[in-house]
Amino acid sequence: MNRKRLRIIYLSLIAFTVLLVALGPFFPTGKTGSYSVSAESAAAPASGQKKKLIMGTSADYPPYESVDAKGSGEIVGMDIDVAKYITSQLGYELEIANIDFNGLIAALQTGRVDFVMSAMSATDERRQSVDFSEMYYAARNTIVSKKSAPLATEASLAGKQVGTQLGSTQDLYAATIEGAVLKKLNKIPDLIQELNSGRIDAAIVEDAVAVEMTNSNPELAMNFLPAESADNGYAIAFPKQSPIVAEFNGVLSEMKENGKLDDITKKWFAEEETSSGALLGLNIDFSILKDYIPYILKGVYVTLLFTLVSALFGLVWGTILSLFKISGIKPLEWFATAYTSVFRGTPLLVQLTIIYYATPQLFNYDIPALMAAGLAFGLNSAAYLSETIRGGIMAVDKGQREAAIALGIPYRKMMIRIIFPQALRTILPALVNECVALLKESSLVSVIGVSDLMRRADVVRSDTFRSIEVLLFVAAIYYVLVLILTSFARKLERRLRRSD
Amino acid sequence: MINITDLTKAFGKNQVLKGITTTVDKGEVVALIGPSGSGKSTFLRCINMLETPTSGQIDIEGTAITDPKTDIARVRQRIGMVFQHFHLFPHMTVIDNITFAPMEVKGLTAQEARSKAKELLARVGLSDKADSYPSRLSGGQKQRVAIARSLAMEPDIMLFDEPTSALDPEMVKEVLTVIRSLADSGMTMLIVTHEMKFAREAADTIYFLDDGKLVERTKPEQFFTKPQSERAARFLEQVL
Repeated sequence: MNRKRLRIIYLSLIAFTVLLVALGPFFPTGKTGSYSVSAESAAAPASGQKKKLIMGTSADYPPYESVDAKGSGEIVGMDIDVAKYITSQLGYELEIANIDFNGLIAALQTGRVDFVMSAMSATDERRQSVDFSEMYYAARNTIVSKKSAPLATEASLAGKQVGTQLGSTQDLYAATIEGAVLKKLNKIPDLIQELNSGRIDAAIVEDAVAVEMTNSNPELAMNFLPAESADNGYAIAFPKQSPIVAEFNGVLSEMKENGKLDDITKKWFAEEETSSGALLGLNIDFSILKDYIPYILKGVYVTLLFTLVSALFGLVWGTILSLFKISGIKPLEWFATAYTSVFRGTPLLVQLTIIYYATPQLFNYDIPALMAAGLAFGLNSAAYLSETIRGGIMAVDKGQREAAIALGIPYRKMMIRIIFPQALRTILPALVNECVALLKESSLVSVIGVSDLMRRADVVRSDTFRSIEVLLFVAAIYYVLVLILTSFARKLERRLRRSD
Repeated sequence: MINITDLTKAFGKNQVLKGITTTVDKGEVVALIGPSGSGKSTFLRCINMLETPTSGQIDIEGTAITDPKTDIARVRQRIGMVFQHFHLFPHMTVIDNITFAPMEVKGLTAQEARSKAKELLARVGLSDKADSYPSRLSGGQKQRVAIARSLAMEPDIMLFDEPTSALDPEMVKEVLTVIRSLADSGMTMLIVTHEMKFAREAADTIYFLDDGKLVERTKPEQFFTKPQSERAARFLEQVL
């Protein structure tokens, strides 16, 4: 009967996986920001073969680059149009990778991307690590503050809490403001949130962004700062000594001459968005989510797939490690103990970032973001699970092992058929906890651009310039997912307890 | 059939067996008796290598099982063992407990194993419990299933380690009846027991162990009426 029962569990797991895979084609997986645009130009390189260039961008900065979450889910914006034009002129195929702004330089250095266009200014500091093209756009720094407490000049910022986007040009500029207390945040929507909640008095962003911020948040006001130098110009970044800089510069100057660049700029800056007007007394308006719901829900699939893969990987690898620990073979025991110690002793976020950024450099393999995330979470979770499983195995009555040995049952069969099923019963609650933790912590993977639920929430936040609604919405989704998971686990537990 | 030469076993500094030499014949039923801590159970567990002897040699039908080169798992298939605490597999039904090893180790088909198991269940009087889980059985029933599970491997030798010590008094008899009928069928058996009446009736030979040594090895009649050693006499005085 036991076999039948195990078979039911296996079958339901397999069915679940098949279902997910079958549903897969209906949902785009992996990075939304990674799609190819074939260049239309006939001016292919001499070899006659279209070479692919990967462009890195942080698609949370409209109108330069953002995810068209209401529509196709693709990355759109002024930078994208410029990049498409240049690459098509040069006969390259363009692929776009969506990466957090402060990870862009690292992505260039590790060879993950061939160039970066992300409203990035060519500062001296950055020039030490990367090469830049000629500038293609110059923006002005702008102060955004509450209408009720407007701040207009650099001098007025003294003694105030001033927010900037980490790694942005304004971040560097703000450091030069005398007396200002700086607060660096990851995203533009974070700045808005902090402004609204009064934790910062002003945010310094560039003009185009300020326009969008104030459009969608009527209680905010903006004041342009005088453009002081050409320092603020945006340029395309390349790895040091990149051979394609000259080609790009050639097309850029062409574009400046024939007015193509102006056309693109106008296209993106002309549309003055009409305010959606959250005129309600309450500053929460869930109706803004309406058009984004399908886009956000697609993240559920990515989050679930990711959780399933990393949980299975963690379980298998954790089981192997736990067997190492009880093997009585010293080198295996030492390895498993050291492994657990390292993976439990360092933050998951650090492991994730190392695996994602270091793998291409160390192994010359361009690891996909979703795989890097599954690997990091699986490896990490295995460290915890190996202890849990070891405890579960030790908790099985010693007599069970002796009875199996006395019957002449070989070790493998004994472990798989006699010991593990009993250990599983003891550790099931701990396993469920681990799965719940994985599901929730999966939101960390958004930092390397996996388009899971959290990443999609971030995209919508940068698109709408509103945070609370989106965050509450995804929190509710996570909660429902956890509820479903725990109720599934309770059923499994009841089934396992049938022999009591 | 079983030749044991100068068997010793130490747990750390604690010398539990201090050199035991004896021979068990085919079909012989041996009852191991002695005060607690005398080494009875350890002696029994050495015979299927659940405990590795510190020194000495054990031969079973000419196979030196103490030799590290011997495939001990194969030898164990021919030696059944019944434990004080049954050790049934709790996540399997009674019939699965019995058919598991014959199918997985001996490669019997499910059909062969099941018909054999049903035969054995009938023999121990538990035909109606085939599909129950162990948790639904009484102690006496569990021990009878455990015996059936061992017999399913068709062993040449059966080892019983205090098979009735964990049972409520009213269940002792049903288990002893099964063991008794097994003894009468000609199975070679070694039984560690505190049931003196049973030992006297069922055993061919009594081993009296004390302090890790085989102090007496005699017929039951003689042991219970005229023990040779003073230690055995004192032990019998206390238990009878």
